[in-house]
Amino acid sequence: MWRSGRGALAVLVAALLLAVAGCGGGGSSSGKTQITVWEGYTDVEGNAFKKLANEFDASHKGIDVKILETNNDYALQKVLTAVRGGTPPDVAYLYGSWAPNVAKIPSVVDLTSTVKTKAVNWNDFYSGERAVATVNNKVIGMPALVDNLAIVYNKVLFQKAGVAPPTPQWTWDDFRSAAQKLTDAATKQFGTSYPADASEDSVWHWEAMLWEAGGQILNSDNTKAAFDSPAGLKAMTTLKQMAVDDKSVYVDTTNSKYMDLFNAGKIGMLVTGPWDLSSVQVPYGVQIMPAYPGSSAGHQSIAGPDNWVVFNNGSARVAAAKTFVTWLTAAPQVKEFSLATGDLPTRISVGTDPSVIKQMNDKLPGLKVYIHNLSNVKQARPQVPVYPKISEALGNAIVGVLLGKLSPQDALTQASDATNQALSSGS
Amino acid sequence: MASATPTASNAAPPARRTGLLRRFSGSEHAVGWAFVTPATVLIAVFGLLPILWSLLLSFQKSDLLTPETPFVGLDNYKQIPGDATFRLAIEHTIVYTVLFVPATMIVGLLIAAALNRKVRGISIYRTAAYVTMAVSTINEAIIFMWLFEPSFGVVNAVLNGLGLPQGQWLSSPGQALYVIVAMTVWGWTGFAVVIYLAALQGVPKELQEAAAIDGAKPFTIFRTITFPLLSPATLFLAVWLSINALQLFDEVYLTTRGGPLHSTTVVVYYLFDQAFQQFNAGYAAALAYVLFLVILVITFIQFRVGNRFVHYNR
Repeated sequence: MWRSGRGALAVLVAALLLAVAGCGGGGSSSGKTQITVWEGYTDVEGNAFKKLANEFDASHKGIDVKILETNNDYALQKVLTAVRGGTPPDVAYLYGSWAPNVAKIPSVVDLTSTVKTKAVNWNDFYSGERAVATVNNKVIGMPALVDNLAIVYNKVLFQKAGVAPPTPQWTWDDFRSAAQKLTDAATKQFGTSYPADASEDSVWHWEAMLWEAGGQILNSDNTKAAFDSPAGLKAMTTLKQMAVDDKSVYVDTTNSKYMDLFNAGKIGMLVTGPWDLSSVQVPYGVQIMPAYPGSSAGHQSIAGPDNWVVFNNGSARVAAAKTFVTWLTAAPQVKEFSLATGDLPTRISVGTDPSVIKQMNDKLPGLKVYIHNLSNVKQARPQVPVYPKISEALGNAIVGVLLGKLSPQDALTQASDATNQALSSGS
Repeated sequence: MASATPTASNAAPPARRTGLLRRFSGSEHAVGWAFVTPATVLIAVFGLLPILWSLLLSFQKSDLLTPETPFVGLDNYKQIPGDATFRLAIEHTIVYTVLFVPATMIVGLLIAAALNRKVRGISIYRTAAYVTMAVSTINEAIIFMWLFEPSFGVVNAVLNGLGLPQGQWLSSPGQALYVIVAMTVWGWTGFAVVIYLAALQGVPKELQEAAAIDGAKPFTIFRTITFPLLSPATLFLAVWLSINALQLFDEVYLTTRGGPLHSTTVVVYYLFDQAFQQFNAGYAAALAYVLFLVILVITFIQFRVGNRFVHYNR
């Protein structure tokens, strides 16, 4: 009780704070329209965002932006509570993987007509971002963040093992043989690592491989699983060969240790995103993901874009919120935020600006590769409300293969059955 | 006495009302209610209301997203028997409870018995025993994840040094649940120690001394006198730890997230997953009510069985 009691107390305090925040949000006293923005930025990002919000307040006299920090992981739960209570935020930062479910919330504002305006210049956003912001032809948010996966490798370990560093022409066979050479059971050194907590993090790494092998997650009308295919088997077999046959993969079942071990020189290569670069403490290089030889799909990656979602609190506040997100996601602000934080530019015009690329890469070497890699994001995850179920099924299939408990084909069959069942029952 | 009656009948109605009010406001009743009201309101609003609300929710189809929550009768409950993952979750919860509760009590009792004496620096030892309760669950989780790390962890290093086989621990579907048992036993031992220590200090010295004079050995005294007198504490711990064990969540959420391959998916983690990851809030509420009934039944049985052997030292 003392332990769970502490938890209950925290929940209580959180609930009270939420209620207080709800009461205080919004309104248009003193002629200004106040809008509340929920976001989860901390540290450098938090300061950069506050600076942008202040700039907005200064240049838009009729609007007052109030920021409420909320942990991104729990943002949807909190937003749902607030929606039920009738006091949603005006703008919230929500993960892209939630988009199909966010689209079901009635108070979410349809931004389809907004993004068609010249001021927004919608096609300047990367296609992966636009895909995630759009559910059933309805735009439910503005792109807030974009990232992708690439190889981050320890230069020292490559040199010691006498392995040539990854090139843009690398295949998964090259990746596998390098991982094997970097593995040393005696010193407990692993070639690579894989996040194996069966979460979406486990899944999207594999989805990129599936696409590279020429496969698809679902069929074209999103009614059936399509990953139980030769391409799916190829991608699953790669994992099995490395983790089970070669034992060159550190299978991180709690998805919490890979970075510490990489920094300790125990892991040669990671496939990870730009957010990890600032944590790396060893001499490192960055290279795009390998491809499958003979596959026309070539080098791909996967983006995990997130969205700024606008909620309906009356027309005045909706208008103010639209003005804010349009301004926030416009090229000058995207540039300012990317330069300050190292987050990848969400707009093509900024991401192809040589001076931006140079400044960002000087600050955090390797970012250049990630920015270029945005053009390797050619597909998006299917926008279906049952995606969490599909993700869970695939997550367990992948972990089963990595731990040697399931054969690649059995894993695909199981996940495919679960996916088809979820798609047909709709829940 | 006799003079009191005329006074009362002479008094005008308003005066009598103020008299009543004064009597109430001056009584212990009013003071009591004044103290209790804020807590009662908080419990009613944040405890009772959600409990009733979730009962309602368990008869609805709700994804928490859309305002339409049609009543579906017993559909959510009917879905439960066919849910293979939920069956696994029940199995894991039972295995966990059966291991965790006795282990915590035995370790707690041993430590409490060792601490129930007058030696130099005893308060330091007692504080040390309780310190595990002060460590936040997240720190505990991080420490145990590294201790039981298969390649680099201390546990495997020690086993290796002793020439014993090493485990894959949290990475193994067959072992992960036992690591969580070890972790929570460590976390809860301090609680059991405090309860047993308090109970041990309530055991009358005369009885133990009398037995010693009669020639009883220390272990016999412990078995026949001390332990029976600890039975109220034992019953309390058994009930309390069982209730908490059946609601295991934090440690699972912070370490394995129910994996690998559902091997640590326990009931509360599963219903969290259903409500907030899969957006099946109605179904999750039904699961919660099933769990509630199970806990109610188990607690009832524990009290009935417990009362037979509990010795209250009145």
